Amino acid sequence: MSQRFLRRWLRGSAVAGLLLGWTLASPMLRAGDAGAGADVFKSECAECHSPKQGKNKKGPSLFGIVGRPAGTAPNYKYTDALTQGKWIWTTDKLHWYLSQPARKANPGTRMKYDGLDDPKQLDDLLTYLGTLH
Amino acid sequence: MQTYLHRHAPCRPRKLHLWYGLAALPLLAVQTAQAVPAYARQTGSACADCHAGAYGPALTPYGMRFKMNGYTDTNGQGTKIPLAVQINGRRIVPAKGQSSNLLSEADIYLAGRVTDHVGGFVKVADYNNGQDKFITQLNDLDLRFVAKDLNLGGKEALIGVSVNNSPGFTDPVDALPANTLNGPPTVSGTLLNPSSANNLSHRVIGATVYTLYDKNWYGELGTYNSLPVSTQYDLGYTRSGDPGRFSNTVYARFAYMRDFKRQFVSAGLVGLTTMRQRPRSGPSEHLTDLGYDVTYQYLGNHENIVQFAYVNIMERRRYATTPLGPLPGQVAQPRGVVHDQTLTLTYVFKQSYGVTIAHMVSTGTHDIVRFVPYGQPETSSNSFTVFWTPFGKDDSFTSIANLRLAAEWFRFNKFNGSSSNVFGAPPGAPATNARDLNAFLLFASVAF
Repeated sequence: MSQRFLRRWLRGSAVAGLLLGWTLASPMLRAGDAGAGADVFKSECAECHSPKQGKNKKGPSLFGIVGRPAGTAPNYKYTDALTQGKWIWTTDKLHWYLSQPARKANPGTRMKYDGLDDPKQLDDLLTYLGTLH
Repeated sequence: MQTYLHRHAPCRPRKLHLWYGLAALPLLAVQTAQAVPAYARQTGSACADCHAGAYGPALTPYGMRFKMNGYTDTNGQGTKIPLAVQINGRRIVPAKGQSSNLLSEADIYLAGRVTDHVGGFVKVADYNNGQDKFITQLNDLDLRFVAKDLNLGGKEALIGVSVNNSPGFTDPVDALPANTLNGPPTVSGTLLNPSSANNLSHRVIGATVYTLYDKNWYGELGTYNSLPVSTQYDLGYTRSGDPGRFSNTVYARFAYMRDFKRQFVSAGLVGLTTMRQRPRSGPSEHLTDLGYDVTYQYLGNHENIVQFAYVNIMERRRYATTPLGPLPGQVAQPRGVVHDQTLTLTYVFKQSYGVTIAHMVSTGTHDIVRFVPYGQPETSSNSFTVFWTPFGKDDSFTSIANLRLAAEWFRFNKFNGSSSNVFGAPPGAPATNARDLNAFLLFASVAF
């Protein structure tokens, strides 16, 4: 094996590894359409949640939601049901939470949401939420 | 309220109480703007979350839920002062008569939550009577207690109590004339139409119990009594507009509503029955209103919103007396029926630019004595409104205050059952045609 071939192989492996790692670690794991997700957000979430940092409505700001520990948005008074949940809002957790009635996912929460049963809309929404950083 | 319409009046209207109703004509449309930024501050929500055009009334489903929750929802970030102010100005350009500019109204709203279960909406209005004299009135009143998050038979429910001063004002669907204030302007309208003469709005006090069951089923039951004439006067209302003494009054409302997030539909029934003495020392007449309404909203992503509403209210009347007419043999009918119908279509672009078209019709049983001059109470009118509300959105300069500029053309097709000489002027006297009552109006409202 020539040194030239070995360098190419190592370089290729490194790039592939980086791509794989980025894909696995990215909040945009579910390859939705962020633009379409913004529309879903407006129709499903925006009345109670703001995408702006620090702006709490009836529900907390969703700025930086992906990767945030549950119940930790600044200056928002959560129910015990959520603060005691002790979970991180990963895309998978959000997918689980938003695909069913909120009160089934987290009994005792104030959030009144019936869940989003359209898988594409849900993926689009999660992709959009992943951009709120 | 003195309007340009008075100038078209015959010198001595035969039924003065009917004539007073004309004061409520197109100008009622002016008052459709309702904005309570205090609620936006309380909830952290933008005006546009609750109102399709970012300015009231025109509630979105989210706004309906806020109302049913007794105005108590909050973002939990401290106590907010439940106070808001609205200032309205307008220019009226009537088809006949002089144009006028007015600083027409200044309102103070005491509106918001007291506790998680108690909230309210109180509007005190300072009206310009047209001669730059302001009259202070206790306008809308709606104080609520609500028990939320109940479980009835395995279904989510809420139960509330409202003390209010206008039958229909409490309705969440926001289609009834008491909410929209766009009932047909007529002298013979139903009790549930605040644009008719001697209507109940703000001159009664009552209590209703309401429930929302399984998110979709709404029911409300209540009763009302008219305020003493002296109290009405103390609250800023003329004695001549007294709706009379009421007894055995029952108000009922039932509606099915469904929020699909991107769309909303509702269908409802409404009823009001009462025994009324007007004048108060006179005999009782029996009035029963029965109506239905359907609404549809396309909300989508709120960039393009379409709202449609149709309301049809019938009133059966068993009159207390059968007065004689001016000509021999003329006797009033002992019974009668009137109908008020309103169809409204609104389109709003980017929650800022909107157009509203309304068609309003009032019809009734022919009665040559009661409905002067032709015995026909039929009135048909339209309004075409364009408006701009630059603020009140999450991404606008401010989301908790707003400005509304609007232009409206209000036109009559028929009045008093006729399109010409609607007041029955005698030969040789100047006649007023229905189109002479038309008006072009410009409004500016600011709320903060």
